[in-house]
This record gives sequence, structure tokens and C-alpha cells, in this order.
Amino acid sequence: MNPWLSDLPATVPEALERAGRAFPDRGMAIFDSRGRKYERRTWTEVHQGAVQAAGRWAALGVSPGQPVMISVPTSWTWVDAWLGALMRGALPVAVAPGAAMGAAEAHVRKVDTLVERLGAKYVVTSEALRRDAQALGADHAAGAVLTPAELAGTTPATFSAPTPGVDDIAFLQLTSGSTGMPLAVQIPHRSAIHNAAATDEAIGAPHGGPSAVWADSLVAWLPLHHDMGLIGCFFLSMLAGIDFWLFPPTAFLARPRTWLDHLGSHGKSFVPAPNFGYQLCVERVTENDREGLDLSSWGSAMTGAEMVRPETIDAFCEAFGPVGFRREVFRPCYGLAEATLTVAVDLTGNGPRTRSLPGSAGSDFGLSEVVCVGSAIRDTEIQVVAPDGSELPDGEIGEVRVAGPGVFAGYYNAPEASAEALKEGRLATGDLGFMWQGELYLTGRIKDVLILHGHNIMPHELEWQAESVTDGGGSMRTGAFSVARGPQGEEAVVVVETNDRDADKLNELGREIRNRIGRNLSIPVADLVFVRRGQIPKTTSGKVQRRALKAQYLEGQLQRLDPSQD
Amino acid sequence: MDVKKSVLEIVSSLSERDAGQITPDMDLVGDLGIDSPKALQLLLELEERLEVEISDEDAAKMNTVGDILDYFASRA
Repeated sequence: MNPWLSDLPATVPEALERAGRAFPDRGMAIFDSRGRKYERRTWTEVHQGAVQAAGRWAALGVSPGQPVMISVPTSWTWVDAWLGALMRGALPVAVAPGAAMGAAEAHVRKVDTLVERLGAKYVVTSEALRRDAQALGADHAAGAVLTPAELAGTTPATFSAPTPGVDDIAFLQLTSGSTGMPLAVQIPHRSAIHNAAATDEAIGAPHGGPSAVWADSLVAWLPLHHDMGLIGCFFLSMLAGIDFWLFPPTAFLARPRTWLDHLGSHGKSFVPAPNFGYQLCVERVTENDREGLDLSSWGSAMTGAEMVRPETIDAFCEAFGPVGFRREVFRPCYGLAEATLTVAVDLTGNGPRTRSLPGSAGSDFGLSEVVCVGSAIRDTEIQVVAPDGSELPDGEIGEVRVAGPGVFAGYYNAPEASAEALKEGRLATGDLGFMWQGELYLTGRIKDVLILHGHNIMPHELEWQAESVTDGGGSMRTGAFSVARGPQGEEAVVVVETNDRDADKLNELGREIRNRIGRNLSIPVADLVFVRRGQIPKTTSGKVQRRALKAQYLEGQLQRLDPSQD
Repeated sequence: MDVKKSVLEIVSSLSERDAGQITPDMDLVGDLGIDSPKALQLLLELEERLEVEISDEDAAKMNTVGDILDYFASRA
């Protein structure tokens, strides 16, 4: 056994305390929202900030086991509030802050629903949200808002720090539920620590050891409310004792070049990101802009959280090869919130490999070649099963199931959804793939989910918005799904049944639907298709069959009422 | 500096639409297809070209092209 892994802390508070003690010079730096300035703290200081915030939570009457929501952009406020709640024994729940532009009202409604459903006493967020919530009559949200200034202004109380057991829940991770309502994934301390450490070990496989042996820093731009940011970056650096440089996602998306600059200037480093992030670098960092970059110190570029696209890998290597990027630096991986984060990682470090889709299978993603996402991390087992649950041989496509210490402890207050996700103690991922010589290849999904820019969106969310324009919602007269459109990844398609034939009316309706979805979900609809009533395939009980609908769409079998629209 | 012209130019380049076709009532996401990475690029370009710092709170209220124009008009 790897000596480093045998010396692991048992819980998150222990990990934090240990980071300060064992790696006194290391720490974490957070950039401002434009990526210009940063504030750095050592791990000891991070620990001190968390202990102080825990005292504040105690003074505010938050007790162990109680959910506390955090919805602020990437900042020290986020870290203090989230870690402080965890140190108090409460259950921190990170909620994505509102969209960068527009959609303020939709964000208030979302926070309001979450406060009510989780029974959260507080949500750390802006004064603006409190005002908006009051104005909109969103009483749950309005009553729970605690601004960063109010939290910081609370005098910490002394409290007896709970000593969590390894199987106690450390925090809740939000994910899209199959009904369109978000679910909160319960992650025990054991899973959080094991998964972050095993991820680090897997990333280090071609480098001769965990990151502390071969790397100086992790330079990331992922949001901390995302499992890849929280476990794969934050916890991993804390456990490994490397420096963590964190850009708010806004800073990266506005200007990817700033992030690439830093990658080259903090020693040997590595980074996890979804496919679209690499694609964005190709598109937005132009040839002139690449001058002066040096990516030769980049040890590993993990790519996961959405389908890894071979064309993105090729384009990135071509664009950044001249400034020192090597193809073998790319390391595909696979994970999901219900597995804490990581399930599989490419351990070889030989560069991404692909295989043709077996037999006559078609890919949901418009791919003829699929990328190997590697082999299971430590103590984790991957199975590919047929619909009857029997394990399939190499090369046959089925549902991916996972067993191991990362598998979550069910959803918070949602026994039915938990039972559906956990089958015979294994996590039914809803992802499709096949095994080949011990390695996993992902081909598609059983679950109806759109993954846009690394974030999961349930089709119900789009359908409900469209239906709220046409008939108040819930009519089952729309179907939403995503299609692959070039290397950017997935785009949203919405199909709507209507009796209207008038072109002007359809145009007007179309515009209203696009704008409703845009304002409430911040998602552009790439294609909006009107069809006659009764054209969307449904089950006998009237449920929309999205896979069948998507197949019809892709094969050009849908009779559009709006040939003028693209 | 013509603020309106600059705003329309930036929106036009990001949405890949002719500036002449862009009207104030257009929604940034729904009508113009500006997704979240593009929205952040838009904010940054507005800030740099028009030399302002747009707060998160102000940005959250910008749903349409007109909302952006109003923001600059109210500062003038």
C-alpha cells in the first residue's frame, strides 16, 4: 500500500488541521472575479478561518445536522462559511450563485424552493437577494438570508466541537433530481477523504506517486459548488499538501488566457476541467494570444464531468503544442456526484485512446469513436450490466454500476430517489458504456439529462418552462433533450406540440418560449421544433419518451410545422 | 464615446448577428443565444471598452440588450 494513503486523516476537520501542521508553507489562493488580484492563505490560516466561522454558526444557533446553504461566488467568504458549517457539525450545502448576467428572479425562486425543501435556517448570500426575495414574496429565502457581512460581524461563540464519526454525513452536494427538483447527495467523511486521496493517487500513477511527490500546485477554475471543484481540487490539495490556485469560473470564462498564464508560473502543476473548458481555450486564446505562454510545466490535464470529445483533444494539442503542451498530458476521467467524485481515471499517461463503438450501436453524442476514461480508482469496482442486472462481457454496452467507498449515503430526505439510485448496494449511474481490458469507455446515457458546460440540467426544467408559456405547465406536450453539435459539446433542443398553424403566431410563441427558458435557466435553445399535437412519442401512461423523440429528431423524422425556423 | 454603438458592436460580435438587426427588446439568451461563457465575455468586454466595473448585482438584472443600454444611460 502506498505509505501516504495509509496515513490518511479520518474526517474533514482532521484533514484541515493536518494540512496546516504537515504542510506549513502550502496553502490556497483565490483570485477576484476578474482574475486580476488574489488573496493567499496558508492551510493553517484556512483552518483558523473555519474554526472562527464555526463559532459564528454556533452563535447564530445552528446545531449539528442542520443544513446551511451557501450561495456566493468563489471567495474566502465561501470557504469560511462552508468549512465553518462543517466544523460546527452542520451540513453545508453549496448552491450555485446566480447567472453572471440576467435571471436574477429565477435565482431567487430557486433559492426559495431549496430553503423550504432542505429546511435550511440560513443561506449565505447577498443583500440584493434579500431585497429581491422580499419584493417577490419569496418568504422562505427572504427570512433565511444571512449576508457575508452579517456572518463576519457575528461574535463567535465557544462551543464543544463535535467529533464526527467517519460514517457521519459531512456535507450535502446538490444535483439535478430526475423529477426536475434538485436532490442533495449525502457525502460521509469517509467518502470525501477516500475519494480525494484515491483521485490524487490515480492522477499520480504515471508520475511515480501522489501529487506531493511530483507537483507543486493545482491551478483550477472550477466552482466549489461542483464536485470536481470541491473534491477534485479543494480537498485533494488540502490532503496532498500542494498549493491550490483557484480562479472563480467567471474569471476563466471571461478570459481563459489569464488562467493559462498562471498554469505556467506555479511550478509543476495539474488541473481538472470539463471538455468545454479546453475547447474554450482553443477558441478564445487566439494564435497571437498564445505568444509568451509556456505550458511545458503542465503535468496532467484531467478531462471529465462531461463527454470527452476526441476533436477537442486534437484541437487543443494542435493549438498549444507549439507552447509546450504534450498530448500525453491529457488524462480522461469519469465521475459523478453520487460517487463523491471520481470513479475512473486514465492511469497510463500515454495520452487519450479511443475505440470504435462496438457492433451497430449508435452514440447519443454523434461520436463514432469513444474515448477511454480509464480504470477504477482504488477500492472501487465498475460493472457494466444488462437491463436485467447481469454483468456484460467486454465490448458490450450496458449501464455502468459502481461499488466502493465513494458511493454516496443516499439523498437527503428522499428515500425513493435513493432506492432508485442504489441497486444491491451499487450505484446505478444512468450512464452507458462498455469495458475493454479493464478500462471503461462511455457511450451515452440512460438517464434523461442534458450536460451543458459541465452542469447537469434535467429535461423537465426546460419542458416545464416551455409548457408554462403554452398552457401553464405539466401538460406533457413538450420534450427536451440535448444533441452534440460539434466540439462545443451538447446543445438543447426543445420539441413542442401545438395546434397553431399560423407562421406569425408560431414565431411569436417560439420567441416567448426561448426567452422564458433563457431568463429562467440561462440556457439558449439551439433548436425549437413545433410539431402537430400527438407527434411526440409517449408511453401508455402519457410520459414523454425522450429517447425515442431524440432518435426521430436525429433521423429527420419529425414533421416540423415551422420550416422557416432553424 | 458612443456607448450605444459600442454595446451593439460587442453584442453583435458575440451573438454573430448583424448590429443592424439587434434591437433593445431582444433577450440576450433567448433571442441572441448568448450562453453563460459568452455572457461573461460580454461583461468583460463592456467593462474594458467602456471603462466601468459592473457589479454582480447590476449584471444579474441585465436580461435584454435594452437593460444594458439603460444601465449605461443611468450612469451617464
